[in-house]
Amino acid sequence: MDRRTVQNQIDEFEDIHAGVILDGMPTWKDRELSSETVDDVEKGPGVDKPFLVITLVLLTIGLIMVLSASFVSASYMTGDPLGFFMRQAMFAVSGVALMLVVSRISVRFISRWSTALLFGSITLLILVLLIGIRVNGATRWLSIGEGTGSFSFQPSEIAKLAVILSFAQMACKFGVSRMRTFKYGVLPFVVLTATIVILLYFQPHVSAIIIIAVTAAIMMFAGGTRLRYFLLAIIGAAFLAAIVMLPNLVSSVRDSGVQGIATEVENPQLDFSGMGHWGRRIDIWLDPDADPLGGGFQTRQSLNAIGSGGLLGQGLGQSRQKHQYLPEEHNDFIFAIISEELGFVGAMLILMLFALLVIRGYWLALNAKDRFSALVVIGITSLMAIQVFFNVAVVTNLIPATGIPLPLFSYGGTALWIQLVQMGIVLAVSREIPLIKKDEPDEDMEALS
Amino acid sequence: MGHRKNGKKNVSKRGLLVRTMFLLAVCGIVAFVALAVRLYDVQIVNHSYFHARALSGQLRHSTISATRGTIFDASGQILAKSAAVENVFISPLEMARENQNVWLIADGLSEILGVDRDMIVERASRTNSQYQIIKLKADADEVAGVREFIREHGLRGIHFEPNSRRYFPNDSLAGQIIGFVGTDNTGLDGVERRYERYLTGVNGRNVRLTSARGTQLSFRDFEDTFEAQDGHDITLTIDASIQYLVEKHLEAAIDQYTVLNGAVCIAMNPRTGAILAMASYPNFNPNEFLQVSDRDMQRLEQIEDEEEFRAALRDAQFRQWRNRALTDTYEPGSVFKIITMAMALEENLANLNTYFDCHGSISVLGRVDRNQNPLRLNCWRRRGHGTQTFDQAMQNSCNVVFVDLAVRLGARRFYSYIDAFGLFERTGIDNASESRSLWWDENLFFNRHNHSQLAAASIGQTFNVTPIQMISAVSATINGGYLMQPHIVQSITDSNGNIIREQEPTVIRQVISAGTSAMMRETLENVVETGTGRNAQVIGYRVGGKTGTSENVVQIVTSGDGALKDLTASFVGFAPADDPEIVILLLLDTPCHSTGLSVTGGAMAAPVVGNMLADILPLALGIMPQYSEDQMQDLSIIVPRVTEGYVGNAIGRLRSVGLTYTIVGDGNSVTAQLPAPNAQVAPGTAVLVFAGVDAHDSEVTVPNLSGMTFEGARRALENRGLFIRTTGVPMSDVRARVSVQSVSAGAGVPHGTVIEVTLIDKEVIELMH
Repeated sequence: MDRRTVQNQIDEFEDIHAGVILDGMPTWKDRELSSETVDDVEKGPGVDKPFLVITLVLLTIGLIMVLSASFVSASYMTGDPLGFFMRQAMFAVSGVALMLVVSRISVRFISRWSTALLFGSITLLILVLLIGIRVNGATRWLSIGEGTGSFSFQPSEIAKLAVILSFAQMACKFGVSRMRTFKYGVLPFVVLTATIVILLYFQPHVSAIIIIAVTAAIMMFAGGTRLRYFLLAIIGAAFLAAIVMLPNLVSSVRDSGVQGIATEVENPQLDFSGMGHWGRRIDIWLDPDADPLGGGFQTRQSLNAIGSGGLLGQGLGQSRQKHQYLPEEHNDFIFAIISEELGFVGAMLILMLFALLVIRGYWLALNAKDRFSALVVIGITSLMAIQVFFNVAVVTNLIPATGIPLPLFSYGGTALWIQLVQMGIVLAVSREIPLIKKDEPDEDMEALS
Repeated sequence: MGHRKNGKKNVSKRGLLVRTMFLLAVCGIVAFVALAVRLYDVQIVNHSYFHARALSGQLRHSTISATRGTIFDASGQILAKSAAVENVFISPLEMARENQNVWLIADGLSEILGVDRDMIVERASRTNSQYQIIKLKADADEVAGVREFIREHGLRGIHFEPNSRRYFPNDSLAGQIIGFVGTDNTGLDGVERRYERYLTGVNGRNVRLTSARGTQLSFRDFEDTFEAQDGHDITLTIDASIQYLVEKHLEAAIDQYTVLNGAVCIAMNPRTGAILAMASYPNFNPNEFLQVSDRDMQRLEQIEDEEEFRAALRDAQFRQWRNRALTDTYEPGSVFKIITMAMALEENLANLNTYFDCHGSISVLGRVDRNQNPLRLNCWRRRGHGTQTFDQAMQNSCNVVFVDLAVRLGARRFYSYIDAFGLFERTGIDNASESRSLWWDENLFFNRHNHSQLAAASIGQTFNVTPIQMISAVSATINGGYLMQPHIVQSITDSNGNIIREQEPTVIRQVISAGTSAMMRETLENVVETGTGRNAQVIGYRVGGKTGTSENVVQIVTSGDGALKDLTASFVGFAPADDPEIVILLLLDTPCHSTGLSVTGGAMAAPVVGNMLADILPLALGIMPQYSEDQMQDLSIIVPRVTEGYVGNAIGRLRSVGLTYTIVGDGNSVTAQLPAPNAQVAPGTAVLVFAGVDAHDSEVTVPNLSGMTFEGARRALENRGLFIRTTGVPMSDVRARVSVQSVSAGAGVPHGTVIEVTLIDKEVIELMH
């Protein structure tokens, strides 16, 4: 038995018995909880003010932009120019209240319910396939209630949070050592992720699959899964992609070659159209002008909006592209309208606020009282960053189009609620950040027991 | 253990720390930097590209159509005007989608718009189309009818689009001058075509920001309107009232003389070159320019072969559109003697009192018959005119004198005058098309050993000119010697009334001296006073003119309809003779010999020009007649109203104006009168005064008055209860005979109708050229 194996065994042993053997194991950051009770926590610095302020600022700007972006569509669709805004504002106000409530829940409580949340959201994902509302060929929404009192939501949004919470909890439960193994560090996570991905595939909901997959990977990464598995996964994915794409590439190269022009063979026109829906989206991404009134329409209109914004923009409320040119202008493409109205300066300001929020999130994670808290904050922060990145990248045609809303901005009430709940969880963690460094027992294992 | 543990913990702690920092770097920094770079690229680097592309999608361009200019006559009367109308079209696609009742729509539209119902049904069946025209340029009433029809039945799929339509309120009046426009409103003929550039205007453009649905956005910074520039208005030199009078008399002449090939008439202001009226027959109505005359249609209907029919129809259309005053050439005949005379006078070969002898023929160098035997050129009066002055030779239209003078003048000088009178070149009149004249080649004409061409040319034969060339040249001889630029357009004004172009009288050149011109006026007045032009006399006016009769070289219609030889009877007349305000050239192409009148300019064309002048001078030009004592007796009298009052009073009133009377019945007061008040009758006419009885309104047959003296004609009419009124030479003239009558013989007219007869010099009937 070599030294490492022994070490692993010791680690495993320690991890397993950590909850039992309270031998003064310090927190992973050499910090200690100042108190064990919520009341004690409240004696601390309270919620993280910068994080709260940035969140509220972004939410406010988001509301203003929803008003600006939606009033044309709203007046066409509902007759009331303020229709979409009022609804979003209602969700925002109630969402902020929800966020503040959640921020007062103890992390331990959250961790206790995380597994239940995961299975609950899997149940919902199954339910949505059975009784979900079908919109544009996809079944993503569940509706509760009837008539005006009804509201609908996407279980995939809840699944994202559930993945973060449950994976954090699992990572803590397994412990650092076992996380390094395939059996603990990879298998259960992959199985759970695959389950969710498969359920999402049947909706279908590609963007949610991407986001949940990336989020899950990040949780595993932060949770301690060995890098070699990621490396293997990347190689495997590349291999798979090559198998899928190669026949198409070969055929497109051959097609070019038939014309007998050597230069064309050297620089073949990539053609992904043989790859179905996604191949087409990639084609559009590569050349949105090829089909300006069809598939490329939205991308072109989005770029028109962003590009015409210039440095300082057309001015708040002065977007032209929102006048029925750009579809989804108050949902997934709200950032295009922001860029058009507020220009490069305004768009960068918002991106910087998001970046600050994300960086502050990671900072909070680094300072969190325990491993679970840290992982949860890392997950939520990363999810936020991923969604912002994917949204803006799609809107600017940096990546192929897929429908990802911009957190805190895009129109959509229940999604906003869930995002604010996530912010609330981060705030809850921030509240439990200990003030003083003390060599006191780690609480995280207790929380997990 | 503790140490080892600490080390392990540090490793795991450091692991999470490192991994978190890695995530922070990737998600918190790299991702946002990537987005920032991308945004910078799109918003800053490629800003103008995307901005332009966005604008091209957001801007809507729409055309504001310019209104075509209006065409006015010299007095401001509208001759052609565009009005907004609408095209009615259907969208069969929409009709099918909305389950419209095609039969109901077809019935309704065909009734309202007067279009073929089957055509509508057929077009409605093209259900993949969204645009099928049902009627182009429907007028306001029709559109209102269709709108009502749509509303009443709640129909879908019937639509309108704006268009404009050209209206010619006077129908055929001056049709060939004005021309007409096609369905796309571009001028296809006449002034409409020649001045298309001015009339059409410039369409405007509106550029504005719109939503994708096309609704206008309130971004003013991008709204831009380029107003339509309406077409310019054009004022013609044509006077609609003169044109009307010319056309009226021309039409009557064609009817009365049974003119087979139509006629041409130009009225011009000789001092300015302004065309006052220009008519040619057959004519057409620009509103319905494809429609041929009833007479043509009757002829066409005989044709059974489809192909042939269409060819004939096309021919008839082209014939009626042709402004023959500009496009047809003819042999001017004796009218041309005006030009020859002007040359001779200008070159001092003779003056008005120079004596000439005419023995009925003259020998011409090189003129031979088929057998190369010398052939003398005959005067129209075979026995000759004897000894006569140049002035008298003109009155007699003596061929011999003019041939003689031309030979003395020489071919070169003759041709240089032809050139100076503008008879070689097109006049350059501002209308759609104009023909060239046809003259002998100089080499042939200048032949020193053969004067036959020169001799023929001197009396207006063997060459062809256009009527507009001829009248321009004649004008030059009577207006002081100046060849004027003939023109139809007086001025062009923009839609705000600013004058864009004004046609000033343009002198091309002076051809003869003022003195020669004065002599020409004098001698031409004498022609009408006592010579072959007598029948153009207008009582109370000094009229000058010259007759002409020429053989048609090109025979357009050969008809056995009594035409012995296809002749063109022509006359050029002007008034007042001492200071001409108007000159009129009239051509009657192939009058029928069967009328009993000799087919000559003097017998046929001269009286028509006289009648035209008699109307135009006082009515249109405001030149009032100056009557001598003698002439007063010959004037028509306006019948006064005598129906109110006693018979005695009526008799007194009738006598006082120079009328007589016949009393019918034995009542005391007048119950009726014939002719009706305000009718014009010849002096001495016996008005029927009904006393106590009613006038019987029976119909009577008009007798044939042709060749009768005035008295004979009056008696013939009064026997039937009809009345007479005369034009032409004075009724007191012993040689005056009836040539034509306003109502042809055999027609039935109401009792008491006034029949207008044209009196001409009987000498002119018998002897003519």
